[in-house]
Amino acid sequence: MGASLQEIKRRISSTKKTEQITGAMQMVSTAKLSQIQRHTTSYQVYARKIRSVITHLAKSHLLDGGATITPRSKESHENDDQIDGLSMLVKRQVKHTGIVVITSDRGLVGSYNSNVIKQTMELISEGNHSAKDIVIIAIGGTGADFFKKRGFSVPFEFRGVKDIPKFRETHQLVKKIIDMYDDETFDELFVCYNHFVNSLTSEFRAEQMLPISSMNVGSDDLLAENESGFSAEYEMEPSEDAILEVVLPQYAESLIYGAILDAKTSEHASSSMAMKSATDNAKDIISSLELQYNRARQSAITTEITEITGAQAALD
Amino acid sequence: MAEQDLLTVSVVTPDGSVYEKQTRLAVFKTTVGEIGILPNHIPLIASLEIDEVRVKVQETDDKFDEIAVSGGFVEFSGNVATVVANSAEKKEDIDTTRANKARERAEKRLEIAKQSNDVDTTKRAEISLRKAVNRINISGH
Repeated sequence: MGASLQEIKRRISSTKKTEQITGAMQMVSTAKLSQIQRHTTSYQVYARKIRSVITHLAKSHLLDGGATITPRSKESHENDDQIDGLSMLVKRQVKHTGIVVITSDRGLVGSYNSNVIKQTMELISEGNHSAKDIVIIAIGGTGADFFKKRGFSVPFEFRGVKDIPKFRETHQLVKKIIDMYDDETFDELFVCYNHFVNSLTSEFRAEQMLPISSMNVGSDDLLAENESGFSAEYEMEPSEDAILEVVLPQYAESLIYGAILDAKTSEHASSSMAMKSATDNAKDIISSLELQYNRARQSAITTEITEITGAQAALD
Repeated sequence: MAEQDLLTVSVVTPDGSVYEKQTRLAVFKTTVGEIGILPNHIPLIASLEIDEVRVKVQETDDKFDEIAVSGGFVEFSGNVATVVANSAEKKEDIDTTRANKARERAEKRLEIAKQSNDVDTTKRAEISLRKAVNRINISGH
């Protein structure tokens, strides 16, 4: 047992070091999580504002008559001549489906990445899309590697989203995605990411963001909010069309940015969770190793005593 | 709604609120010209130029707070004017060295794009140039 005593001691000390590291990583993730949550709160002010304006415009007669955007105007399907230039509202015939997959660059985030990738694959197979009709835009290295290996076309990938992504920094990326929609690289856009529920759970979300439709504009709670605060009739300067042309791209950008922010939040949360359970596991291992160590030490002592008393008895 | 003699101007960007103040008068440069908003203006939505938003500091003198905005729009209702823009900076927060660098970059890009007749890139470079110049102008006066 003598040699293994040394062995156990070494294992204990190495597990302790691992525990320290994962413990530190957990603290870092938790700090980042609270930072990004603070940032998200300030973003939501912006998102709410832009949404309420969009909802207001969506309710107004212009969109009712012109586009396939509000629930009431389903019968005016494909009647999109009136809204030239507002390409984000027009449902095009879908030849290619764009999917933005938001994953993390780093590992050590528990089931975060595998969850997004698995569910995205399910979404793809559910939609009966053949692989060549799918255009993947990968944000985060893990997703990029996965989909490239599977032979999907990944015309654009982005690695190195900051821990606390600022809009200024992500703007180029978001712009690029919108440009690709304008270039008809794809005709509809889904964004797949993990939505942050709380620090313990996150849920997968796949949202259609382009073309902008009633689905993502006028959800019920927003309309209710709208009723109370935004019933006023607005004077439009210069015109509703011109304003929509400004607001819609901005809205789309804010949606995508919001998704990135949300995904990053849940990445920090799951990283913190993963590190917490790693630390807990390390603690378990250490305590069982210590038990084992003490047992071995005890039995070594017992053996020694038996030997001494045996020798003593032999001498007497 | 009761008549009030002040309106609130707030500037929000995706990175948070940049500015918030109560004032007597706010002046916006919209795509069709300059408009001034006084308290109790009727509800309004207007798209903004890449320019400045000016907010009167005190009633008695002619001092204005200046905020550089990169387009976006302003929404006014219930005596609250909300500027929703992708980016905005108060005059005193503008980093002139950064703005100057951004201008140089945009100028270079513009030149390259013009040579290769790339309409899209030219347009984009022009916009970034205008944003940079706007920030430099505002920080300058």
